[in-house]
Amino acid sequence: MVRLKDLSEAEQAHLLTKNDPPLGPSAWNRLNQNINTLRFALITTAGLHFRDDLAFEFADATFRPIAGDENADDLVMSHSSVNFDKSGFAEDVNLVFPIERFRELRDAGKIGSLADIHYSFMGAGLEPAAYEANAVQVAGMLKQDKVDAVFLTPV
Amino acid sequence: MTTGISLIRENTASMQPPRALWVSFPLGRPLGKPGDPAFQHRVISAALDLLNRNDGPVLEDYQEDAPQIEIEHAPACPVTFAKKTSDIEGWTEALRAEVEALKPWHDLGRRRKKGRTLVGLSSLSVMDNALKFADLLENNELPVTELKWFKAALEDTKVFYLEAITAQPGAYEHTYIEQIFWSETLMGKAMLALHERFSDDDGLSAFARIMAPRSAVSGAKKRT
Repeated sequence: MVRLKDLSEAEQAHLLTKNDPPLGPSAWNRLNQNINTLRFALITTAGLHFRDDLAFEFADATFRPIAGDENADDLVMSHSSVNFDKSGFAEDVNLVFPIERFRELRDAGKIGSLADIHYSFMGAGLEPAAYEANAVQVAGMLKQDKVDAVFLTPV
Repeated sequence: MTTGISLIRENTASMQPPRALWVSFPLGRPLGKPGDPAFQHRVISAALDLLNRNDGPVLEDYQEDAPQIEIEHAPACPVTFAKKTSDIEGWTEALRAEVEALKPWHDLGRRRKKGRTLVGLSSLSVMDNALKFADLLENNELPVTELKWFKAALEDTKVFYLEAITAQPGAYEHTYIEQIFWSETLMGKAMLALHERFSDDDGLSAFARIMAPRSAVSGAKKRT
């Protein structure tokens, strides 16, 4: 297991520099329907993309679309940070991008449906505000895809 | 609306996203355990449950830890990396021999995973990238005009090694894999040598951060 207090002092200090104030006013939407009716998209900051997509740069606020009907086993990772484990993702894409688990939830009727397109950002080297314009763009595309809820995974 | 996973509780508490499930899993493993759909479903279910809360922001602690993997129960590393840096007569032949020794294991691991590999960010082969690293070291140069190639080559090389080291089926302790790469392989030593050169260059020192983890750099300093 990993808790901040279990890491070295240097590692703790580095990670605590990532504490930031909330971005803008708090946003809260109360759910007024059953989860089994919701349309879900996955968004990760793991720097995932297909091999023939542009890799993420050293510091990069752009995103890569991941079509829901493509084979997620073909995803690769060009995240700039070297301070996290990649062996788990190499073994199982669902550890970071749980698309197969969400397909199982859909097929079991536990969620309504899955988005046509999911998204990956690369969370390293930039302050959160640098991502705002691209995040707004993704939000617009999620609306267009009639997505109700997003499941977020860091790395 | 959103829900999701938090890996660093303190970061999430400060930024206050609407709903987050903090998990005690290692960085890089937000769903906890590779190849275990039941474990992953339990994590997802706990995060989805947060959607039913009436008020937020919600930051809840997930109670299940990822299972500990005892190193003695993990499959042994298939290649012995015995050579010390001081025994190396030339980086080119040393790195060539190491990559050649790992290639059959990488092939085996790739077949076990039905063709899946993370290698392929670079347009060059793993061997060609290794030989370019050797050139840089032997000629005391830095790839100033080829940083895009260098980033992709670093990534490809590291995942080639970890995929070869974990070629056999079984559960691996990720810090043990990192330890093998950074303290036993010649490629790890080559990358640390390049890292030192990048760190010493005012214009490229920021790039050094994406070459080697802080733990490997401090470990290497302790060994010298």
